[in-house]
Amino acid sequence: MLSKLKTNAAVEVSSRVNNLSGDRSLLARTYLCTFLLAACVVTSAQAEEGTSYANSQDFQLHGFISQGLIDVNGSDFVNDDGGLSAELTEIGLNASYQLTNKFRLAAQVVYLDGGNRYSQGARVDYALLDWSAYTNESWQANVYFGRFKNNHWLYSSSRDIPFARPSIILPQSVYFDGFRDIAVGSDGIAAKLSHSTDEYGNFDWQLSYGSSPISDEQTKNILSEYAQGTAEQDYDAQASIYWQPAFSSWRFGLSLLDASFTYDQGGVGSGDVFFDSDFTFQFYTMNAIYAGEKWEFSGEIYQQRFTIDGFYSPDFQLDNIGQGFYLQSRYKLTQQLTLLARYEDFYLNKEDKDGKKLQQITGGDIPYYFAFHKDITLGVNYDITSNFSMRMEYHWVKGAGRLTPVVVPNAIINNTEDWQMWAVQLMYWF
Amino acid sequence: MLACLVTPQVAAIEVVTHPQVTERSLTKSQLRRIYTMRQLRWSDNQAITVFVLPSQHALHQRFAKERLQIFPYQLNRIWHKLTYSGLGVAPTVVKSEQELIQAVSNTPGAIGYIGEATLIKLSQSFNDSSSQQPLNMDDGQKVSGKGVLNVVKIKD
Repeated sequence: MLSKLKTNAAVEVSSRVNNLSGDRSLLARTYLCTFLLAACVVTSAQAEEGTSYANSQDFQLHGFISQGLIDVNGSDFVNDDGGLSAELTEIGLNASYQLTNKFRLAAQVVYLDGGNRYSQGARVDYALLDWSAYTNESWQANVYFGRFKNNHWLYSSSRDIPFARPSIILPQSVYFDGFRDIAVGSDGIAAKLSHSTDEYGNFDWQLSYGSSPISDEQTKNILSEYAQGTAEQDYDAQASIYWQPAFSSWRFGLSLLDASFTYDQGGVGSGDVFFDSDFTFQFYTMNAIYAGEKWEFSGEIYQQRFTIDGFYSPDFQLDNIGQGFYLQSRYKLTQQLTLLARYEDFYLNKEDKDGKKLQQITGGDIPYYFAFHKDITLGVNYDITSNFSMRMEYHWVKGAGRLTPVVVPNAIINNTEDWQMWAVQLMYWF
Repeated sequence: MLACLVTPQVAAIEVVTHPQVTERSLTKSQLRRIYTMRQLRWSDNQAITVFVLPSQHALHQRFAKERLQIFPYQLNRIWHKLTYSGLGVAPTVVKSEQELIQAVSNTPGAIGYIGEATLIKLSQSFNDSSSQQPLNMDDGQKVSGKGVLNVVKIKD
């Protein structure tokens, strides 16, 4: 049912495929804004009454609203015409309700407009039942049923929360917007075990198993705009561990992912140029973060394995190992002002880092620069109040390895190796 | 009189709980666990309800650094992650010290923090309005006869 909700919502309010979408998105935005406003009024009314805080942690309502401007020159990352765009809207609303001592319900709805980055529209980010299976002074064990968020990578749980992530646009080699709806969470079961000791610090172990629905628009985004069939995720299994030594400014993490997809052309009569196929994706990351008073350093290093069996022809085979990393530093100039610098380097096939083979094999249809993605980012964040921030950033990008569609790229629009973008975003949350 | 309200080793920020909370003292790491939402229950299994001031409030900034030895932005990250990923529940933010006192005194299992000056004011108003009974903060007793708050001692 949840999967239907996610796909339907995304499809229904979705995008530039039909011309009605402008009106619809405006309507959806108006609805969400009204809802948010109502939520604000309710919360402040409760606070003013000041009578009962007893239930304040039993029921919680939170949300965020953000709007920005983004300008990309030299790629179709946001739009096809390369003009300045206001397609940088993120609105979210979540609620948490403590049913009993052991059980809690939580859900979040998000509306996104990011141009080509992902499907425009509303979606259910998570909707889960949280079972607090065991808790004492130093241990906590929780099991989550339903749609849960991916919590395994450094920024996977904050990637869609504008003010909680480090930049407007995240390192695309890990937090690829084209995969957002598949990578942000799954429908299934997840477990988290936390342990704190004074001697060894904090440990967090997590396991998750589930799958994400894939809409037709996402299928086109990921595979090819000509794909007529349906893609499905069979499963997504992930594990991770995080360790923060006692009273340390450092934290270290490891994560593993194994996922499998199938593509069904939908019978011979469908007219699809692509064939039934199986895709597998494995992803391993290591990360570290240092959080000091003024300086913060973080980085992730990763390897992925992507295989295709079929698709282009019934006996087509592909098995690529991609590798990458990013290093990021933030400096708090004042309590309100934070500067950001980041370098990201990624290639899709470690046997073909410069993409020469790719260009050769495809007879020049796919230029060499589709084999990698490098991004230098500089940014600044200003916290206007405790709940209101402004952010600005500039990206110098080399390569088209992280643009949609992924499997059959668009080399006509993306005709240069170098492209740039800047973005500015205002964010409010409660 | 004022001197005995504030013992020398206690810094200018006090940790307070609802009067029914049985804990009279907490270790520094227990306090950290509670505020980073890694300890969710008191020793008698009652749920802990955590109250904080807005992140840019001067007292919150000092509490984070001096009492928890965590930078305020790190606390924000931990709480945002819980709140916006569905993983758990973050502390409840109240606007002022006055509101925080009210919230902690009205919520069973609650914990919060207040500035020394506010605590003294609160005690004085109690002393003015009732008996001459001396307050002994070392025992973590109630600030007023009606049982408004407990002051919890923080040990290293």
